[in-house]
Amino acid sequence: MAQRLLIVDDEEAIVFAMQRYFRSRGFDVDCARELEEAEALLSHSAYAVVIADLRLTGVHGAEGLEILSFIREHCPWTKAILLTAYGSIDLEREARERGVSLMLRKPQPLPDLAHAVLALVQEPA
Amino acid sequence: MSGGAPLLERLFQPGQLQTAFQPVFEVADGRRTPHFLECLTRGPAGTNLARAGVLFEYVRRKGKECAFDRVCVASVLEAAASLPGEPRLSLNVHASTLERDAGFPELLLRLAEEAGISPRRLVLEIVEHAPAWGGPRALKAIESLRRAGLALALDDIGLGQSNYRLILECHPDYFKIDAYLVQGCQHDPRRQAILDSLVRLADRFGSRVVAEGVESNAELLALRLLGVDLLQGYLLARPASAEEFKAAALGGRGA
Repeated sequence: MAQRLLIVDDEEAIVFAMQRYFRSRGFDVDCARELEEAEALLSHSAYAVVIADLRLTGVHGAEGLEILSFIREHCPWTKAILLTAYGSIDLEREARERGVSLMLRKPQPLPDLAHAVLALVQEPA
Repeated sequence: MSGGAPLLERLFQPGQLQTAFQPVFEVADGRRTPHFLECLTRGPAGTNLARAGVLFEYVRRKGKECAFDRVCVASVLEAAASLPGEPRLSLNVHASTLERDAGFPELLLRLAEEAGISPRRLVLEIVEHAPAWGGPRALKAIESLRRAGLALALDDIGLGQSNYRLILECHPDYFKIDAYLVQGCQHDPRRQAILDSLVRLADRFGSRVVAEGVESNAELLALRLLGVDLLQGYLLARPASAEEFKAAALGGRGA
């Protein structure tokens, strides 16, 4: 059965490119553009991996961290990759405390991202 | 995202919501008779919100249940006005909307009148996802709707916040049992024990039990043996649009 992947990003071009790339590699892909949409999807489907951008359009400014907390509380079996162009030691510590599986710099070449996703889905739970 | 406008805004724009109708059947003596049609709302086609569960979870996370319940009622009554015949219809509403939106009963009755639907044809299905059932204003709203002729159903009994307090305070005409308890009940004595207790409880309240999510003949048989005679699910009928119901009526068969 295809692995389920959730992509959370508010940049339409990025969502489009990632969705097409991962679908072509056999993943079952859903996409969300905002925090509440991602949380609603996570409440109703089980995903192997979530790839979330740190910053989405919204009032928090760090919605990616909110998504990590939601996953840890509601679907701890889901692996999470946080993408950010604003890396810092504090942010990395905060993300690790919230259970991130992997933090990657934006922009990230899609083949490298796919490699990271495959490594996570093959990891023992 | 298709359509340009942000997702939440799109939900409140005209023509974005779709309505489907799924019958609840009374099954007795080998016959299936439609008892009422549940009105189901779906979000814009081509978005994640076309999935009902995702739609309502999203709206709740946005804190927009009240406003969205109003839009849903307007949308489903407009769609229901074109159904053939005069079927009874059930509409979903959050208990928190009845508590917080004092104008909701009046709006519902006005929209029903405009759609040419008698309140006596309506069943209000109350679903609650908020952690607490507040009470007084919602109970007042329920009383006024009952006086106008609506029947009352409690949705998702056995899950979430549809609890004993709601049963006691709302005194529903229908207990709608969630599919989680129904599916696989034919070979699960523990599910059967819970269903049996709910059937007895409903009987003591003078209410009727509706089993949701019936998908196999084995489940149907087990439910009948437990005394449940109102059934809903893909085994009996999938949700269909008003147009499909009209086409089926013109073809001389049930949708």
